[in-house]
Amino acid sequence: MTYKAIIIDDEKPARDIIRTFLKDIAEIEVIAECPDGFAGLKAIQDLKPDLVFLDIQMPKLTGFEVLELLENPPLIIFSTAYDQYAIRAFELNATDYILKPYSRERFGQAVAKALSRIQTGVAVQPELQKIIQSADEKEELLNRIAVKTRHKVHVIGVNEILYLEAEGDYVMIHTREGNYLKEKTMKYFESHLEPEKFIRIHRSYIVNAEAIERIELYDKESYSVLLKTGDKLKASTSGYKLLKQILHM
Amino acid sequence: MIHPVFQNLRSISVYFGTWILLAGIHFSILFFQFRIPLNISLSDSIIYNTIFCSIGIALWYVIRYSMPGTLAGFSFLFNHFTSLVLLLVFWLGSGYASLNLLFRNNAVYLNFLGLSLPFRFVIGIFLYAFIGLGYYLIIMYRDLQEKAKAETRLNELLKESELNMLKSQINPHFLFNSLNSISSLTITDPVKAQEMVVKLSEFLRYSVSSNINTFTTLEKEMQNIQRYLEIEKIRFGEKLVFEFAMEQGCFTKEVPVMILQPLFENAIKHGVYESTEPVKVRTGCKTFEDYFEISINNDFDPSAPARKGSGIGLKNIRERLRLMYKSDSLLKTSVKNNVFEVVLTIPNKPN
Repeated sequence: MTYKAIIIDDEKPARDIIRTFLKDIAEIEVIAECPDGFAGLKAIQDLKPDLVFLDIQMPKLTGFEVLELLENPPLIIFSTAYDQYAIRAFELNATDYILKPYSRERFGQAVAKALSRIQTGVAVQPELQKIIQSADEKEELLNRIAVKTRHKVHVIGVNEILYLEAEGDYVMIHTREGNYLKEKTMKYFESHLEPEKFIRIHRSYIVNAEAIERIELYDKESYSVLLKTGDKLKASTSGYKLLKQILHM
Repeated sequence: MIHPVFQNLRSISVYFGTWILLAGIHFSILFFQFRIPLNISLSDSIIYNTIFCSIGIALWYVIRYSMPGTLAGFSFLFNHFTSLVLLLVFWLGSGYASLNLLFRNNAVYLNFLGLSLPFRFVIGIFLYAFIGLGYYLIIMYRDLQEKAKAETRLNELLKESELNMLKSQINPHFLFNSLNSISSLTITDPVKAQEMVVKLSEFLRYSVSSNINTFTTLEKEMQNIQRYLEIEKIRFGEKLVFEFAMEQGCFTKEVPVMILQPLFENAIKHGVYESTEPVKVRTGCKTFEDYFEISINNDFDPSAPARKGSGIGLKNIRERLRLMYKSDSLLKTSVKNNVFEVVLTIPNKPN
């Protein structure tokens, strides 16, 4: 049985070496090569590969953004020159993370790991998951968020965000251009956005401090935050306290 | 410089404590040795010692403005001789006058006071020398401390700038990605791989061996840029296009070494890394009467949100230009019609 693989990397020599190494591995057949994140995302959705070799820093969409936007992602082997993303990669359930330049042997190990995962169907090791969760706090802050609407992928810079609103298991991202639903928790955004700028003012709201017009007393217990766009958000007592502290009121 | 007596509570108590001790000795000699009545011995001791105690504090200002290093030997001695005479005359005179006034009916004591003046004069010289020496020692000690502090700070700065320079010279990801390209080419196109190894080596040699404070000709600097762009071209292929429009007169001009590489790196990072379309990097150079202008611009995709970490390279260059040419406005950036442009204005080196 052969498995289908896609190579996504913005540098041709980097794609070439993966293809060359894969020639010697009979179980894997390369069905597509893509030079950027958008093309890669589309190829994965259309061709449904079993395995994807994914670079991280690419134009349009990073490797992480591609992976986040997939509903049933195939097995992923990240291949990158950056060593600081390994935790994030395993957090996203990557099969392996190989650092450029790599030896044929190291590449072979990564592929062997992927093959055994395909054949046994084992997803993640629970211990690894634990390590990842504890390392989560040290993670870098986001500076953009990729979201998918019915036909399109949007990349939102965090500066464009007005506020975030909890919607069940999703978070609604409100921007001037429109609203986008993202499958993430409020807690995730709270810890991955710059805390001096994005303030959790309520169980259901995180607001961009730069979008605030003024703050009014709503009733005895709560306040409402008025945005420059005219939107009005509720702030809890603790949210108001945090707001006061961060804005030095 | 802070007065050494008043620098902290300890110095204040040491100074005044010493004077109280001296006053005690003074009193004991008069009272026990010379059998002078208690009230007179006490007054004599308090008056003379209080006056010298104040003089000692004032002496600091004399010492501070007559340092042996800054004044010629003669004027140094002259300063001290004058201040010694003036201080002693004031000390003995005002002490004598006040005691004379207080005990004008006690002829025996006044006689003693008159006779004791030469002794007091000698003691005064010793006190003056002692306090003066103390101040000089304190000044020397402070100077030493300050010098040591300045030296460490300078070393730190030097190391910092060297480190920053190294960091801005070679981006490790550029290096690793280039090595990965080479690794790939060794299998697919060994001849090209060999070429790239040579180019990368030359580029690294130029980066590592150049001293950041030196100048080089624009020609040499551009040769290095050429190598850098060719390496990136192997990585990105058709996506990277470059174009040069440089006046012939530019190439002999002097520029700080490695000043251009970070600018090209920026152009590639924000242009090529973020785009799926071909990106053109244009380089121009024009000469003017006493300066010349280098411009580097690149297309960029306005829809790609800004990458983190931008601006550090530019900040470094601005800082270097400021240190080398003492001017803040030599680097200008602008954005127009999806083209990002950096313009460097470099004064002709005066010969």
